[in-house]
Amino acid sequence: MRLTRRRFLGGAAAAAAAGGGIYELVDHFASTPKRPAVEPAGMPPEQHLIDLGTTTSEGVEVVVPPLHHAVVTAKLDVTEIRTAQTQLEDVLRRIDSAYELSPAGLGVTVGWGIPYFEKVVPAQARAHLPYDRRAQKPVLLPTRRFPSDPSGTILEDNDVVFLLRSDRIEHIEDARTKIAALPFLSVTSIRRGFAGGGFDGGHSLPKKMAVAAGVPGADLIPDGAELFLGFTSTQKAGLGPGTIANHETLGYVDLRTGYFRHGTHMHVSHLNEDLEAWYLNFDFDERVLTAFRPAMTNVRQNTQTIPQGPAQVSSESELVRQFHTTGRFGHSASIQPTSRLPRDMIGVDGTHYPKGTAIPQRADFNTLDNPFAFSADPTRDRMRNEPSAGLHFVVFNPTGDDFERNRLAMDGVLPGGTTLTLPPRNRAQGFNSILTTTHRQNFLVPPRRHRSFPLAEL
Amino acid sequence: MRVTAVAGLVAVVLGVLAQGAGAAPATSCPSAWAHGWQRLADKVAAPVYCPTWMPNPLDAHIGGQYQDIYSIGKDRSYLVSFLEHGDLGSGDVHVNFRGYPGRTKIPQCPAPVGHTTVPCFADPAGRMSANGIHATVYQVNQGADQWHILLAWHYHGSLYTVSQHVINPYDSATRIRQNLAHLLKSLVLVQPQQG
Repeated sequence: MRLTRRRFLGGAAAAAAAGGGIYELVDHFASTPKRPAVEPAGMPPEQHLIDLGTTTSEGVEVVVPPLHHAVVTAKLDVTEIRTAQTQLEDVLRRIDSAYELSPAGLGVTVGWGIPYFEKVVPAQARAHLPYDRRAQKPVLLPTRRFPSDPSGTILEDNDVVFLLRSDRIEHIEDARTKIAALPFLSVTSIRRGFAGGGFDGGHSLPKKMAVAAGVPGADLIPDGAELFLGFTSTQKAGLGPGTIANHETLGYVDLRTGYFRHGTHMHVSHLNEDLEAWYLNFDFDERVLTAFRPAMTNVRQNTQTIPQGPAQVSSESELVRQFHTTGRFGHSASIQPTSRLPRDMIGVDGTHYPKGTAIPQRADFNTLDNPFAFSADPTRDRMRNEPSAGLHFVVFNPTGDDFERNRLAMDGVLPGGTTLTLPPRNRAQGFNSILTTTHRQNFLVPPRRHRSFPLAEL
Repeated sequence: MRVTAVAGLVAVVLGVLAQGAGAAPATSCPSAWAHGWQRLADKVAAPVYCPTWMPNPLDAHIGGQYQDIYSIGKDRSYLVSFLEHGDLGSGDVHVNFRGYPGRTKIPQCPAPVGHTTVPCFADPAGRMSANGIHATVYQVNQGADQWHILLAWHYHGSLYTVSQHVINPYDSATRIRQNLAHLLKSLVLVQPQQG
């Protein structure tokens, strides 16, 4: 749909009246992506998987993310746990029956935090929670800060998180309303955002939304950018395929009783992005070096989608060598030694994963939340009214340690003990100088069959 | 109080100047500012561009209350900067004028990372033409022009620039580009005097 100035102003006013704020504009700005028809089929055992389809951007196959996203966090006030389990599952099944599992319908992912397992099902958790063989640690680790995090980064302690994804904002709102109405849930935050919308040409959704909100630097975002920072981040080859992020797939995890087979680990964080600093202080070449790797010096000016296949993967030795040569490391290059398979591997289901295959499955989305759309504790969460450019980072890894390896590598701390020493948030340290993490929390995502109050029935 | 009083005076002056800039291209440097720009042209022995419009509340009086940097290099390159610093949170208004007599190549600046150099003006983002000047817009600039949007152009074998800081109260690249378009339209050449 094309938007005239008159239509835009009308939409903005209507959105304000409806209390939906800036996000209501997403539906005006975005036309629903063309997607292949999804055959009705049984839902997969994994909660985190949703078939998104792909398109081609500048010759690179890219996954088309859902347009709308929401994250709802909550704490529990439960007296009858089995009753609550039944009530939650009933609501989730009603949502499932209303919307197919696809971007045109709705994807719902429920994750549970350490406070839930420790308070509600401590004995069962001790017996059943998966264990990371590689790290010799539990799969679900206490949330921590990383070297480039400010000391004020809030480590959250929610019991449960719901991730809602769809091309239709009304589907998300319907599901959110149904979930929030459950009597034993006390919603602690609502986080909203958007992604994509620009692969068909013209101005992308992040560009339009940032300009409409008037956030600093909005007018500097390239017109077709998939995300605020200007580069496409959903290259198919850069995202973990299929069930690779399941606990069991790569053999990192001792599933113990097997209760959490088909489950995964989920990290949720919020980051502020300083768009003005990014676009006024880093020229295109430096943005490429910063986002990808220092040796990448021949990229055509204003390219947005850069291949991220196994052939473009940096090894740890290359990363270290480039750091010593140039004094800097790139964001992708620093993470790839830990986020990509170091050798060919066969998954437990027999799937062959070639060397260089990505492991994490990202579900991050841009936001204008500052830092959330709603907080039950606005003082603690440092809520501000004015919109702010940011990212709700959501990622699925087989284990919490796997996430931590990647995140530490982003700060130059490599798993073999090598540290690429730079001051925190130094300009030479990938994206870090223009990102500020405000909140973090780790969750365990059970398989779909145990998504409601996992272990409570035991 | 000084700022308030001066701001009122400047508003009157700028109102006149802005009207002039909007109606027809100015033909000469405003008399209140002309002396300083003439001295600059004489010192560098090359033409310099005097603005006849400046973003509120600045004026372009060299030696006046808003002048910040006045620097002439051994190679005759110059930097003249005007700054209003809002101590009470009103923001900064900061405009730089540069000239590189006798050369057109973009100079090199120390790279932000490592021990190499990078172009002082980078990330071209379109062109802007007015007043017979065809300028390139640069979005990523170094040194005193960091965080500025900058226009650069050539005249008679020399490179000239004007830039403004993207910061409150002119807090978007779009607003700065509008100001720079006004500035470009308002520029008049001041020739060095013989002898």
